[in-house]
Amino acid sequence: MYKNKRSGTIGTIITVVLLIALVVLTNVNRDNLSYAEGFATSIIMPIQNAFTMFKHKITGNTEFFTNLDTLKKENADLKKKNEELETQVRELEILKAENSKLQEYANLTEKYQEYETIPAYVIDRDVSNYSSNIIINVGSKQGIEKNMTVIADKGLVGHVISVTDNTANVEVIVDSASSVSSMISTSEESIICKGSVENDRFLNATYISTSAELLVGDSVVTSGIGGIYPKGITIGTIKQIINTQNITDRYAIVETAVDFSKLYTVLVIK
Amino acid sequence: MKKFLIGICMYIFFIFLYFLQSDFFSWFTIAGVSPNIFIIFILFLGLFTDNKFSVIIAILSGVTLDLALGRVLGITGLLFGLIAIIAGYFDKNFSKENKFTLVIMVVVMTIATEVVNYFLNVLIQEIPAEIGAFVKILAIETLYNVMLTIILYKLMLKLGMLLERQFRQKNILTRYF
Repeated sequence: MYKNKRSGTIGTIITVVLLIALVVLTNVNRDNLSYAEGFATSIIMPIQNAFTMFKHKITGNTEFFTNLDTLKKENADLKKKNEELETQVRELEILKAENSKLQEYANLTEKYQEYETIPAYVIDRDVSNYSSNIIINVGSKQGIEKNMTVIADKGLVGHVISVTDNTANVEVIVDSASSVSSMISTSEESIICKGSVENDRFLNATYISTSAELLVGDSVVTSGIGGIYPKGITIGTIKQIINTQNITDRYAIVETAVDFSKLYTVLVIK
Repeated sequence: MKKFLIGICMYIFFIFLYFLQSDFFSWFTIAGVSPNIFIIFILFLGLFTDNKFSVIIAILSGVTLDLALGRVLGITGLLFGLIAIIAGYFDKNFSKENKFTLVIMVVVMTIATEVVNYFLNVLIQEIPAEIGAFVKILAIETLYNVMLTIILYKLMLKLGMLLERQFRQKNILTRYF
């Protein structure tokens, strides 16, 4: 009996420790671990290198080892130069496209300023793991109506799906039920940005035209089609392009401009 | 009267759990996934109180959740009510004094509730089901619920026995003594 009680307590303690460890390990930023990684590498790598050198000395392979080092250095230099050139080409393309659209954007900014907005605070979030919707502290008494667009300082948040007297439920663009008609700001290619159940920072950009040329870093804005969101509101930037065997199935990952985990104040466009 | 007061206490406790889920567990996550402590709470009610009482509190709690989060009214209430009924069935057929049995009950109820809830939402909102992502989240959520049950088992059993005494005092049949 005593043994059972004791083992039960130990089991509970182990579970508590395991839970805390899981929470910490899965939430810690990988960048924060770089010091620890650096420390571990600085200890292990010199020893590893010494062992390798020793091994090659025995096998009489030191020349290969020296050549390999030179080749590695050359390869790294070339890669760096290639990256620089790629960046320059991309910047030029973006600048070229942006230049021709500058006038339109200037007009759009003016138009955007004309909107009457109502400031609001995020007072609650959906407690489910499968929804990211938020509740804001303004409702019909403050003039909020269904389908009104909600934005934050950095870009689009979502739209109002239901209203009470003093609160409104907002379907955010990263919610799995959300689907926003969008376009690439530089090329004006139409895409659909869909939320997913898995994460609250990335959208899947689908229905990409086969002729569309997407580049990582391109910014994505609302297209104005669909009747809910006004044209030209920033959604985010293309983070990754996933090419599939069938070009019609390719899609892109869009990183939202708004960080939904740190979203506290919003504006509702009237 | 006693049951009514216990009911009010349980409802207030549910509100406390709501804030715990909404604030604390939104931060204390495993890979961004939080547990569903409401499922554990309703299962606890179903196991240690009588059927009628647990179903009423479960439905009330579910409707409150639907209203607070602007969801389709009634779905969560209905699901919680079902959990309470199934928990009553578990109570009649299995031993809740065994930690392993309770863990299995939590696993079954978490999976069943979330599967029904997710696919109902998929049907209502007419959105494509993301099976892979859903299974991944559900697995972590179930694991989290199991861990919480193991940690809180002793407390749950103590409080549960206290509740059970209030509800089942009159049902003890003296002919067995």
